[in-house]
Amino acid sequence: MAALQGLPDVALVFVYALVTALATGLGAVPFYFVKTISERFVAYSNAIAAGLMAGASFGLVSEGSGHGRLETLGGAVLGVLFILGTQRVLGDHDEEELVFGAATGESARRMLLMLVVMTVHSFSEGVAVGVSFGGGMTLATLITVAIAIHNVPEGVAITAVMRPRGVSVTKCAGWSIVSSLPQPLMAVPAFLFVEAFRPALPWGLGFAAGAMLFMVLVELLPEAYHQGRRARVATLTTLSIISMVLFQRLL
Amino acid sequence: MLDLDPILTVLAWASLAAFAAGLGVLPRAVLGRLPRAVLGWGNALAAGLMLGVAFVLLTEGLPTGIGYGALGGALGVGVVLFTHALTGTAELDLNALDDLDPAYGYQVVLVNTLHAAWEGVAIGAAMLVSVPFGVSMAVALAIHNVPEAMVLTEILAGRGVRLTHAAALAVGANLNQVMMAVVTFAVVSAAPAALPWVVGLAVGALLQLLLSELLPESYHQAGHTSIALVALLAMGMVVAFHGATP
Repeated sequence: MAALQGLPDVALVFVYALVTALATGLGAVPFYFVKTISERFVAYSNAIAAGLMAGASFGLVSEGSGHGRLETLGGAVLGVLFILGTQRVLGDHDEEELVFGAATGESARRMLLMLVVMTVHSFSEGVAVGVSFGGGMTLATLITVAIAIHNVPEGVAITAVMRPRGVSVTKCAGWSIVSSLPQPLMAVPAFLFVEAFRPALPWGLGFAAGAMLFMVLVELLPEAYHQGRRARVATLTTLSIISMVLFQRLL
Repeated sequence: MLDLDPILTVLAWASLAAFAAGLGVLPRAVLGRLPRAVLGWGNALAAGLMLGVAFVLLTEGLPTGIGYGALGGALGVGVVLFTHALTGTAELDLNALDDLDPAYGYQVVLVNTLHAAWEGVAIGAAMLVSVPFGVSMAVALAIHNVPEAMVLTEILAGRGVRLTHAAALAVGANLNQVMMAVVTFAVVSAAPAALPWVVGLAVGALLQLLLSELLPESYHQAGHTSIALVALLAMGMVVAFHGATP
């Protein structure tokens, strides 16, 4: 870390966000050891990712509320609209297709859809990393670690879709990292935006929280329910939320 | 606001929440058979309000003792899993309109009853954090009870239960909410050190309940985007308008 201290803030933000992107590649690692990945394994990874993201959003909302509760909520609305708009631009209307996951149907199309969704949601994560630097160093490190950790099961999810279709484990790791590359790219402008417009900080924190919570509710949970037992999905998500909030408070 | 004895304040607001469930028959009474999507949005609304309550309890109801709160949360999840296992309702679909199995009717009412008890714990715990905070949680859960009772009414009406009886059953299933709110408030008043545990217990149980009972079916009843938007909007309302903690 000492080596990083000489860097200007913008470069530091880029490096931190790049680390979270690279962490996604770790999601492919278990596939070196596991020969058959069940749909349920993917579902429960999604549930854990959903809980960690929701917990991180809770932290962003309460941090943002300290600066202005209504501004934070306004930001959350914009975050949701941003995800909706991005989905629209990419022509991603076909939600039903995604629910069916890895096991059935036109494999190439599904892999592409999976990558598009994961890449789209990385934009908001990049915004979260960039914005969190405006919220102080503690929160920045925390959110970086949080997003890096939650990127791992996303890498698992991506790999679980691509691996059974004959893509090598190394390529799965590569695609996982690619899906997270918008994080460093978005983190820098988000960071600059927050610095230039300090009053907009609660808007930015709310934006990231809204985008992340919306992704949890619109993509991760439905997919988890589709492939896993609902009680187990609920338990994993709940415990992940509580662990994340505990982790944030203790840090 | 009237200057009531604290325990009467809890009683009054928890009762309001329980009796609000009776309003859940109105959509059916006015509109007749409800479209599936409406039931889905009702479930999403109920889930979002509950998520909002769990969120503010977790982030603002635990100024101290977050560690005990987390342990309480794990305990809450465990107790919900235990009661679901005990009653054989772990994977029960609360929206199976065409399931006419005699056992299904009482199972749905039973699940709603157990569900309501935890909301009582949440109201009691929130009242101990601060009265304005507790009142806003009770109001959020009162609104939450309406769409929940709307779904219950749809199930009961499909089985030939009259609407007045459905309203009575919906309120009856929520009466233990009043009892649990008062008991939680009284017991924790006497042992304040237990507050972080009880707040955590309520948070864990509420999250487990909304994620296992309310959300899963909603995604089959309406589009994912609309479900996510309704839930998030409901959660945002609770976050925006909740009363202050001390």
